[in-house]
Amino acid sequence: MIPLSHFLVLGAILFCLSVVGIFLNRKNVIILLMSIELMLLSVNMNFVTFSHFLDDGAGQIFVFFILTVAAAEAAIGLAILVVLFRNRQTINVADLNQLKG
Amino acid sequence: MDNLHLATPEIFMLFASCAVLVVDLFLKPGQRHMTYWLTQGSLLITLLLTYGQVGDTAGTAFSGAYTVDGMSAVLKSWILLIAIGGFVYTRDYIKDREIANGEYYVLGLFGVMGMMIMTSSNNLLTIYLGLELLALSLYAMVALYRSNADASEAAMKYFVLGALASGMLLYGMSMVYGSTGSLDLATISQALTTSDAGSTGARFGLTFIIVGLAFKLGAVPFHMWVPDVYDGAPTSVTLYISTAPKIAAFAMIIRLLVDGLEVLSSDWTLMFAILAALSLVVGNLLAIAQQNIKRMLAYSTISHVGFLLLGMVAANPEGYSASMFYAITYAFTTLAAFGVLLVLSRNGEEAVMLDDLSGLFRRNALAATVMMVALISLAGVPPLVGFYAKLSVLKAVISAGYVWLAVIAVIMSVVGAFYYLRAIKMMFFDDPVDSSEVPARMDVNATLAVNGLAVVVLGIFPGWIMAVCVRAFAG
Amino acid sequence: MSFQLFIFYVFAIIMVFAAARVITVRNPVYAAMFLVLTFFTAAAIWMLLEAEFLAVTLVLVYVGAVMVLFLFVVMMLDINVEPLREGFVKYLPVGILVGSIMFLEMVFLLTQRYFPSENFPAPAAKPANYSNTEELGRLLYSDYLFHFEVAALILMVAIVAAIALTMRRRSDTKYQRPGLQVQVKKEDRLRVVSMDTESKS
Repeated sequence: MIPLSHFLVLGAILFCLSVVGIFLNRKNVIILLMSIELMLLSVNMNFVTFSHFLDDGAGQIFVFFILTVAAAEAAIGLAILVVLFRNRQTINVADLNQLKG
Repeated sequence: MDNLHLATPEIFMLFASCAVLVVDLFLKPGQRHMTYWLTQGSLLITLLLTYGQVGDTAGTAFSGAYTVDGMSAVLKSWILLIAIGGFVYTRDYIKDREIANGEYYVLGLFGVMGMMIMTSSNNLLTIYLGLELLALSLYAMVALYRSNADASEAAMKYFVLGALASGMLLYGMSMVYGSTGSLDLATISQALTTSDAGSTGARFGLTFIIVGLAFKLGAVPFHMWVPDVYDGAPTSVTLYISTAPKIAAFAMIIRLLVDGLEVLSSDWTLMFAILAALSLVVGNLLAIAQQNIKRMLAYSTISHVGFLLLGMVAANPEGYSASMFYAITYAFTTLAAFGVLLVLSRNGEEAVMLDDLSGLFRRNALAATVMMVALISLAGVPPLVGFYAKLSVLKAVISAGYVWLAVIAVIMSVVGAFYYLRAIKMMFFDDPVDSSEVPARMDVNATLAVNGLAVVVLGIFPGWIMAVCVRAFAG
Repeated sequence: MSFQLFIFYVFAIIMVFAAARVITVRNPVYAAMFLVLTFFTAAAIWMLLEAEFLAVTLVLVYVGAVMVLFLFVVMMLDINVEPLREGFVKYLPVGILVGSIMFLEMVFLLTQRYFPSENFPAPAAKPANYSNTEELGRLLYSDYLFHFEVAALILMVAIVAAIALTMRRRSDTKYQRPGLQVQVKKEDRLRVVSMDTESKS
């Protein structure tokens, strides 16, 4: 028997790693996209956990849809990345200095 | 399947947008205007179907996933109306830049669909899916101007920050689900009222939800993407992003925080108060420094988001209806402002710098007048509609006891008036850099005139929209 | 320590290690491979939570499709990695600090305070003929039909967007036009030339 908090903490570790990943890899768009996938995985972990402990299917259904949307999101994100690379020959966000924040 | 008829607008819209997608495939390059008219036709019919629901229609369909109530029908009608106006303005702009393929219109329609779903959502999953449908369409629309490197860059930034915001929102939703055991907003609300144990976990989730919402809305300190995206995106898409989605975002806030988590309102009003105050100050101050008109309008959007959140701080029906009024009027006023920018951006030239506006009155009197009306309204000068919107939000905030917030809002509105009036002065009194006339099509002129007139007339007679907004939260 | 808990710790440690490597390795291809490892271990942990269908889906959809897409793009774009790492070491201490503080706060809230285990007892064991897939399928096609349709729409947006964004017609590409090919008649290809027979002489 594994208590609920173990899974939630695991989710929290993944979430923090993904935030740190976004913070550290601000220049590398590919790693940024992967960090976002990690964040979604942590959310999924939470939903599956709660679904199990609440004995309620809705959480698993939510994960199902997050997986679907994440796949669509990855497709569009990578398509934008390809367009960007064709225009700029780089994916370095620091080189993207045309727009100043 | 009970009550399926409630979803008639969405179902029609789904079929229509798929039809546009397929018909476009068989059109020859010279027949592209067909896609445009089909798109406008689908939006118009959906508008009529939705408008038929305004009033008494209420109920849920699809096992409680989808709801129609007083608020949803009104907001959806406005979203559709603004989308129609937006497509009228953008037609020539996107044709000039060769992004007017069928995909632009189809993605635009899917985005509107996403907004409608957000407005009608009745559980966490529907909100998420509607939001993603809108967001994914928007990312793609920004990047659709493929030959333009700035547009791809803006799309990438928008995408990364949008996905991050969705992640935050989802993490919050997972906590709310965990502590209440349901995805249904009504059940969540009930669970939080009855048991105190759940509300602590939901409060933890609420923090993430607010951060996610603030990112999506572009409230300070989560605003850094707004100016870049507004500036980098083609003006047609900037118009799209800055108008109707603001109404949908308002609906999402109401669904999540009022329908679902109203029990925790003492927590979220505090967070909204901080976000609103920061957005008002930072948005207005940074807008003054801008020479680029799209960036100026981006910072102005940030400050208006501050006002939108201000009404939510009151956390009572009066505040909600004031915010609703603000969202609607802001959307169609901004529509007019960007419409004029699109008229100016002809023949491959972009009107992006403030100088491009100078002497506009001598080049196109109608466009200059409409722009003036829109900017004065955004500044909040009576008797235009923006004044009434600000006034009703301020009234709600003061009666809820947040006088300090109202003071900040008033001071910052006065500061904000400066950059709007500067632009107006340039249009009417400065000499044009390029004195050639800027003609516009008949339908664009007509839409601009109606749009400008609406800003004036609704400012003088705001009663009926306000009544609709009040009725949306009366029940 | 029960056997289940032992399994959990093994997979959790592998998962955290792999996730940490995703955000720290130099080469994006390695990062993608570590992400695959993270998803595999996550699938194993979901098995422990009796979410069999999702565990399988995670491996099939994520590892099988999404990560392959990532690898395709990484290898298709000839990315110069070095400049992308600039500032990584500089920000590393701050990143670790912020990450750890955030993590500790979340752990503090997530464990006893907000989600005490007595509120979440382990659910009763499912009967032997219980099927997770069947249960999800029933929910998906009844209560969540609306969401199912919207998800289909989202996938369509992804298809339209991905094609519209990346498809380009090169001027030097040669196309076949099957429509014209099948319309070809014998006269178009074959010419019967009548000519006098020639004798050898």
